[in-house]
Amino acid sequence: MTTFRRREVARRIFATEFNKATHKLQDDEERSPVYVLTPLGLRCNRVFVVGALLEKEEVRPDSGIWRIRVSDPTGVFLGFVGRYQPEALESLLEIEPPELVAIAAKVRVFEGDRTMVFLRPENIAVVTSDVRDYWVVETAKATIGRIENFEKGDDDDVKLARQIYSVDLNEYRNAVKQALLTIMESFVEPEEIEEEIEEEETEEEEIEDLDLEFEFEEEEWDLSDLLKEE
Amino acid sequence: MIEERIKELTQQIVQRFKDSGYDVNAKEVEKRLKLLILEFKVPESEAKRTITNYLLKELDIPRESLITESELVKVADITKPNQWVSLKVKVVQLWDSNSPSISQVGLVGDETGTIKFVIWAKADKDPVEEGKCYLFKNVVTDSFAGRMQINVNKNSEISEIDEEITLPPREIEVVGALISIQQNSGLIRRCKTCNRVMSKGVCPIHGKVEGYDDLRIKGVIDDGENVYEVVLNEQNIKNLTGIGLKEAKEIAEEFLDRTAVLAELKKRLLGKYFKLVGDRGERYLIVKNIEFLRIDVKKEVEKLINSLEA
Ligand SMILES: [Zn+2]
Repeated sequence: MTTFRRREVARRIFATEFNKATHKLQDDEERSPVYVLTPLGLRCNRVFVVGALLEKEEVRPDSGIWRIRVSDPTGVFLGFVGRYQPEALESLLEIEPPELVAIAAKVRVFEGDRTMVFLRPENIAVVTSDVRDYWVVETAKATIGRIENFEKGDDDDVKLARQIYSVDLNEYRNAVKQALLTIMESFVEPEEIEEEIEEEETEEEEIEDLDLEFEFEEEEWDLSDLLKEE
Repeated sequence: MIEERIKELTQQIVQRFKDSGYDVNAKEVEKRLKLLILEFKVPESEAKRTITNYLLKELDIPRESLITESELVKVADITKPNQWVSLKVKVVQLWDSNSPSISQVGLVGDETGTIKFVIWAKADKDPVEEGKCYLFKNVVTDSFAGRMQINVNKNSEISEIDEEITLPPREIEVVGALISIQQNSGLIRRCKTCNRVMSKGVCPIHGKVEGYDDLRIKGVIDDGENVYEVVLNEQNIKNLTGIGLKEAKEIAEEFLDRTAVLAELKKRLLGKYFKLVGDRGERYLIVKNIEFLRIDVKKEVEKLINSLEA
């Protein structure tokens, strides 16, 4: 008999916290959902991300599997879309990067030489900057909540996260603040923006650095299992 | 009255031992119950426990071998079928049943949510009433069409309780993102007889029948903490997008494809934030009012930056 399971909540998380997650959680029970435990002790199986789709690229010619990079103000999410996600694939093929997108995605863990988390989008929609702004606000709030929870440290998942990761809370506080400041910039008067251009350039470099971190040979993996519905 | 209650309690104790494979003397149990309850004014539950303990000792039965009374749980805790549970609930709604094997069917709830219940005719229970609160003891959880329910059988007990149970407010306000729109949304056809949604001209109940057009969205609103399955009707959709039934039909004609309506609605609504007010049903949040979220982001950002600097 199948067990009725509640739909998993789509968590709000910045790339910087997401990409550091390496720990997979799964009950012994068959077909139980897979979660990743993030450094701040969030258990997540599904996420909702709003950011800039920077790239889409077919992993191999005619493989039907597309690799995407989606950037929020703190870093880049990596994702793969294949034929098991027809809804996401259909919209992805119509979108030309760079474009602001909202993505509902399952979280997947690749365990190779090193463990990596990535997104397996369920759907992808083009959105406007006000959606992105609100997402940053929401995600900042959620992250601050997790930081506070981590400081208290009595939650079981936080206790586990403390054992697994070495966490510098200031790193996350700074990332949240940085994200909020980039949103603030869009409210700044035009003449003030010019002065800040330099700063923006350095930020782009940072993003490129992060990109490098993700270079690896997907050709050697068989992603098909990870992309299937569970 | 009290004599009857004592007979009932006697029966419960005897039954519990019997279910566990032991025969106990009903007369003896009744005598002891009378002594404790009538003479010594011991509360029922204490009297029951005391006598159960006495019998265990007397018959030299290990406590583990006695079937435990099922755990008292909340509605929201029920996620697996085939579990014996007990719960304190209010009867929210009684539904019509035309099945002779079912005595009553409807919805019960507590402060954590609502769940469907079925009282089988074979269970032979006194009927429950809408709006009253009961202890449902030793009922079995079950899943039907993907939803949980509880079944009352002959080993179950239902007793009215003198407690007020408050249900979660039916009307709630939600701010969240529309993260999924189901395929059976958009321009749909409903059966003229029963209003059910038809698939390829076929009603699940009435087969191939005439239908009529309707516009709706079934989707998921997610606020990062909770998930709400929502249903938007034609009016909701028209308020948000300007696309009503008439416009939807025009789109379908223009593209010679009814699914073009769904594609257009997804383009306009998916991945966006909404503020909505709706009534919580058994499964879906029935939307009364929905609008695109408008919020002073600058103020929110400033507040958050200040909180980080504090
Ligand atoms: Zn019908």
